[in-house]
Amino acid sequence: MNYLFHIIVLIGLYVMLSQSLNIVMGYGGLVSVCQAAFYGLGAYTCALLMVFAGWSFLTASAAAIAVTGAVAFFLSFPAVRFRDDFFMLATLGFQMIVFTVLYNWVDLTRGAYGVAGIPRPSAGDVTVEAPWAYALLVACVACVLVFTVHRILSSAYGRTLRAVRDDQLAAQSLGKNVDRFRRSAFTIAGTLAAIPGVLFACYATYIDPTSFTIEESVFILSIVIIGGAGNIRGPLLGAVLMVLLPEGLRFVQIPDSVAANVRQIIYGLLIVVLMNIRPQGIAGKYAFD
Amino acid sequence: MLQILVFGACKGSVYALVALGFGLIFTTTRVFHFAHGAIYVLASFMLYLFARQLQWPFTAALVLAVSIAVLVGMIIELVVYRPLKRKGASGVVMMISSLGVYIVIVNLLTMCFGNETKILHEGAERGIAIGPITLTHIQVWQCLAAVGLTTLYALFLRFTALGRTCRAVADNLTLASVLGVRVDATRLTACAIGAFLAAAGSILLALDVGIDPQGGFGAFMVSAVACILVGLNRFVAPALGGLLLGLLQSVAVWWTSAQWETVVVFIVLILALWVRPSGLWGVVSRVEEQ
Repeated sequence: MNYLFHIIVLIGLYVMLSQSLNIVMGYGGLVSVCQAAFYGLGAYTCALLMVFAGWSFLTASAAAIAVTGAVAFFLSFPAVRFRDDFFMLATLGFQMIVFTVLYNWVDLTRGAYGVAGIPRPSAGDVTVEAPWAYALLVACVACVLVFTVHRILSSAYGRTLRAVRDDQLAAQSLGKNVDRFRRSAFTIAGTLAAIPGVLFACYATYIDPTSFTIEESVFILSIVIIGGAGNIRGPLLGAVLMVLLPEGLRFVQIPDSVAANVRQIIYGLLIVVLMNIRPQGIAGKYAFD
Repeated sequence: MLQILVFGACKGSVYALVALGFGLIFTTTRVFHFAHGAIYVLASFMLYLFARQLQWPFTAALVLAVSIAVLVGMIIELVVYRPLKRKGASGVVMMISSLGVYIVIVNLLTMCFGNETKILHEGAERGIAIGPITLTHIQVWQCLAAVGLTTLYALFLRFTALGRTCRAVADNLTLASVLGVRVDATRLTACAIGAFLAAAGSILLALDVGIDPQGGFGAFMVSAVACILVGLNRFVAPALGGLLLGLLQSVAVWWTSAQWETVVVFIVLILALWVRPSGLWGVVSRVEEQ
């Protein structure tokens, strides 16, 4: 039963990560490979504040979201100067920098040792401790986040964002500041990734930099690609599929030593095949053209 | 300090080769060839397989390893990029597919060979002292091979029919195909030569410091950054970019510590892209082309 709750938590976290990435990738048309960097920034800020500064869960998570949002905001200025492949490369660079800092700035982040003993979330005298309670918490937060993303993207803002993605010149000639829209999409996507970061830190109670690698970013990217970019249900489907896939592999008795590789090979192949026959993913709308 | 610069130059010459290959593939096919990193790792692993695990003579193993890398490079073009190009897929779609190919190849390799760094060449080597600096044999080889291959490559582009078609396709794809250049064949050649250069660089570095299964990512980044630094659409200049990055990394490592080696490349990338998105000698593209 606890296994089931664990799966629910994982699905919830990846739903949030992929939905946030979808804002910049599916609606902004900019393929970003640094979602795990924001995820990690959120997780680390929250964990360090709670463990070493003794902040409460609510203030620490608010601070984590604020810090991540600020970083995303400042980064968005250089980032939106790039398009397409170059944007992907630049975000890849940022992802690498964040990972290296988390790994090597031992005085602040404890480097490879990681941060242990992160308390479970609590407000007042209610502490979310049991697996079912945590699954419920993550599921609720994920629902709220998906709903918020849906509202943001179906508003005039979301429509403009799509217009900028599909025809920059037309949007510009209608007086839209295209760079501002791209910047805001990037900032929102980064800020929202801090929320699953906080929840992950408190769920695992121990974090180290290996959870926030390039592979993780690529995994989140592949959720959006495989599920489909440009609408809400694509990344939702992708997150469920991609979290259940390795769990499914567990049942077909693949030895543990190669399980991780087999999983990566499968999603690598899925990406290649889908990009060829269906670039908009299984249920998506935007085909990266 | 001189020693550090020379070490940087050795490393830079390896980077130069890999970057040349990446640059050739990008300019002719317009694919941001992520899988270049995978081919880079593949070549060294094949050499490890034949020379160390199967104990074949070194020359035979070397030839076979490079051939396999070239073959895989061509297969990627045939199976992945060509169908995409027929469909008129965008650069982003190409790059994502390339990323997929990279993931598949690297994981197949780590599945077969394990995830730890492999040593190709055992035992400490006696250095050769040239004035105040000391070099190992393999480092001398790195420099010589880089200079030799770069010269050959430049001559190939300038004086052979194939080289000229490569430049024609890169310069104006439509015009080239109208004038009867066989674009598909040219792309395939470019991928083969690109893979060859990647394999050469990879093996030269692997003989020195061993094979890191995850090193392909760094190789891809370095070569992409080297090409961007000098401006895309250039054939021989990426070698200079690679050399420069090698020097920069060495100096940075000397100043700080080895952990920040990769970060240097990215900071250079971000600065270069920010200050001059078109590269040091590139042309500025218009909004419609973005």
